[in-house]
Amino acid sequence: MATKMMRPVSIIGTSTLPQRYFTDPMYAGLSTYELWACACHQAMEDAGVKPRQIDKVVYSQMANFVTSGNILAPVGSLLEWIGLAGKPIIHIEQACASGYIAFMEACNAVASGQADIVLCAAIETPKHFNMRNQPAHMLRPISEYDGWWSPGRALFDTAYSRFDGVSDNLLTDEQGRYYLKNYGVSEEVMDDTYNAMAVNLRRNASRNFRAAERTEYAEIARSRGFNDVMEYMRSSHNPKITQYIRKSGSVIHNVAAGALVVCSSEMASQLRAHPISVKDFASSSNTQRNPYCFHQMNVDVRDALVAKGLKTEEIDLLVTTVMTSGEQLDSAEVFGYLPEGKGYTYELEGRTCFDGDTPINPHGGDLSFGHAFGASGVNMISEAVLQMRGEAGDCQVKKPIDQCLVRGMGGGHTTVGIVLGSTN
Amino acid sequence: MYKLQPILKTYYDALENGQVLGLKCAECGEVVWRPLPTCQACGGTDLSWHDLGKDAVIDEILYDDTSLQGDYTFTKANQYFVNKEAYCIGIGHFPEGRPFHTALYGVNPSNLEQLRKRLPLAAEVEFIQMDGGFKSVGFRVKA
Repeated sequence: MATKMMRPVSIIGTSTLPQRYFTDPMYAGLSTYELWACACHQAMEDAGVKPRQIDKVVYSQMANFVTSGNILAPVGSLLEWIGLAGKPIIHIEQACASGYIAFMEACNAVASGQADIVLCAAIETPKHFNMRNQPAHMLRPISEYDGWWSPGRALFDTAYSRFDGVSDNLLTDEQGRYYLKNYGVSEEVMDDTYNAMAVNLRRNASRNFRAAERTEYAEIARSRGFNDVMEYMRSSHNPKITQYIRKSGSVIHNVAAGALVVCSSEMASQLRAHPISVKDFASSSNTQRNPYCFHQMNVDVRDALVAKGLKTEEIDLLVTTVMTSGEQLDSAEVFGYLPEGKGYTYELEGRTCFDGDTPINPHGGDLSFGHAFGASGVNMISEAVLQMRGEAGDCQVKKPIDQCLVRGMGGGHTTVGIVLGSTN
Repeated sequence: MYKLQPILKTYYDALENGQVLGLKCAECGEVVWRPLPTCQACGGTDLSWHDLGKDAVIDEILYDDTSLQGDYTFTKANQYFVNKEAYCIGIGHFPEGRPFHTALYGVNPSNLEQLRKRLPLAAEVEFIQMDGGFKSVGFRVKA
């Protein structure tokens, strides 16, 4: 497919720090500032560039005002921490789509010719915050923050949607309802599909040291006296939290930082071997006022990419947000990665695992790898880059990846599709 | 490869022990205070902890009466100070290191002009107790 950007853009550097909690010994005594500096410097090292070569920074964080001592975008400080004081920086906040939008903004800066090398970086600490009168390493559990954390409330506007009483439910069960309605699958089969998906993603995450949750469900099941992991997944140990979604099918939140370095493809070939090409991207935003909005945003993004030349049958790997189980299945089918109405069989048969023939989220997905709001998009793109380079370690997919679709969603209102290509 | 290292905790813990630390760049010798993991002069990331001592030089006095009440937009910067003693803002530097803004004690309307005539002034570290349970760094003009 031909790029639609004014000049071709490539990814030459990446860093995705392990998804952890601040209670983990690895991150004890640290703050988001140290994580930020580490991710940015590692990405620059990976790209083979020095701070002074960076023309611009695009940074994403969703909850800085709440979790970082009531600060508005700390852009100047973040630049200082990485030796870039005085350079331009943009802060992107578009809920959990922030990282993807930031990446697109970074690519646009290069494609337009305004910048040659752009650093796209992100931080987020969903589980801890620091008080406004204490430094950033003095962290407290988010449960102590008055009024936080209720995503179902924070994501909806105060014109109408916050008060209509249906929005939270739409965030979890809509894709499942769509599937049951259109493809004649029973609720029991859907339950098994979602459970199998959680098992598959955890199997992937167990082989990825960067994932937050790495204990396989089979092992957890055995420790609870279950020889059959699916029996365990259907049990009260894994309760339903909505009509269709069980606990194992809901996103986990953790602290994270990540960074990517993009530049013109012409420069990329001089800076590193095998840069990753940014083929195209598109996004769609809508509201939950419209029934089946999640599905429709996927359709809109797919159509936008196809209109610009994407051939969905050429996608070798799908990396997608999976806030709850239904999102992965709907996305895989809408983007033509799995056959419409039949994708559930791929989950049940384990074919979506990292070593399957149609791998999805080989890093573990939001259900096991983890999810850090505004940083998640950058982390997901980084995991895709590592897979495309063949540097994903034990969760490396077993087939060549010429083209990868990174599909992201945030806030229930924004869906993004980013197509990456190998230059090998 | 760049490695994670605690910057803030190391710095604030040292203040509790009466020590003011900066980070010194192995590449160009620049001392970064307040400490950052990246050299502000050359962009280097090989920096090590460096005791800055207690003495600094004040180059400018930006006098402001901190007893004035702030409004909704601009509250006073000492709102988290346990000690509400009046202070002003100074521009100073450690013998090694770049200029910085700082809270400066020991300046009042009666000695302001006299002190300005004596600039640059010797000053020593004044640890500021914060209501959040930690210390920050200001300076007090030496007699």
